Amino acid sequence: MPEELAYSSAEEPQLVQWAKVGDMQAFEELVARYRDRIYVRAYSIMRNETLAVDLSQNAWVKAWQRLEQFHGEASFPTWLSRIVTNLCLDELRRQKRARMDSIEAMEETTGPVENRMEVEAIDPVEGLSRGELRERIDAALAKLSDKHRTVIVLYEFEELEYREIAEKMGTSIGTVMSRLFYARKRLASLLKETLKRDGLIE
Amino acid sequence: MNENEIQLKVQALVDGELTGREAEELLSRLESDAGLKALHTRLTVVRGLMADAELPRTLPESGDFHWSQISKAIEREERQAKHMARPASGANWLRRWVLPLAGIACLVLVLSLQQTTMPDLEILLGSDHELELSIEDLDVMTFNTGDDNMSVVWLDYSIDLQQDGIDLWLD
Repeated sequence: MPEELAYSSAEEPQLVQWAKVGDMQAFEELVARYRDRIYVRAYSIMRNETLAVDLSQNAWVKAWQRLEQFHGEASFPTWLSRIVTNLCLDELRRQKRARMDSIEAMEETTGPVENRMEVEAIDPVEGLSRGELRERIDAALAKLSDKHRTVIVLYEFEELEYREIAEKMGTSIGTVMSRLFYARKRLASLLKETLKRDGLIE
Repeated sequence: MNENEIQLKVQALVDGELTGREAEELLSRLESDAGLKALHTRLTVVRGLMADAELPRTLPESGDFHWSQISKAIEREERQAKHMARPASGANWLRRWVLPLAGIACLVLVLSLQQTTMPDLEILLGSDHELELSIEDLDVMTFNTGDDNMSVVWLDYSIDLQQDGIDLWLD
């Protein structure tokens, strides 16, 4: 077993190798390095602190159990992120089964008038730091429906392709494209409203 | 292709999901269609805003507590997995195999003792003999021949099913 100091200074691949042979301290170090990142991804999708914490914990347990399956094709945090994303999607499916989702279904099939979607023009915002803009985008994301927020998170943050998103969400590529378009349109509109309210644009 | 489909194609172009001839055709169409060109620009701006837009957050519980929850869950799941995979315990093994085998051994012993004690019951059997027992509803007849080392047991059990059926139905 490596000494305590070795864990904190070890490179990620070395920690993964140690963890693969059952070294819990190496795994603890990996948790310490990536716990916030995994929590952020869970929170981005779920928008619920308690659920995001629970799903993050579950993701780490699953990661420990499946470490043998990690061969380094993607980076370790990317692999972890996929696990927590899958758990979030499972949770959303479970929630969907438990309630009627008719309002969101209506939003997507309101006919040809709504299908002609205008995307708001947003000019580059002067005098707004990247952090401030992020906060406004985050607030706008929170206002999207689960389906639309999820597709944005999977495409923009998880960097999946249309095909991969369709597989994960159990839907067609056409539906993914349609949801993504609607989500962006809505985001642009919400963002413009916020920026106008804050006097940052006219 | 309707307007909505074209919009989705423009989006696919912005996302780099449209390639080859389809992409070239759409690009040339954008040059002559101001509306589509504007949509392309707006979608590109939204994409640009979203790049690296995920707000950093900190886990709302201490790292130590988070780890303790994870390690407890791992231990719990490993215990359960071991329990499922574990071979039968000593007590289970005894219950599953030894007791039935002991029961069979006892039965064999009793039967063999019965055979050896038969002469004590003063039933003297010749080399060829017949035994017959008859009680209500059951007739048993055995025939033993010493020459051929053969025993024949004849069981005749008859029951009036129809009568029983009627009784049951009447009950």
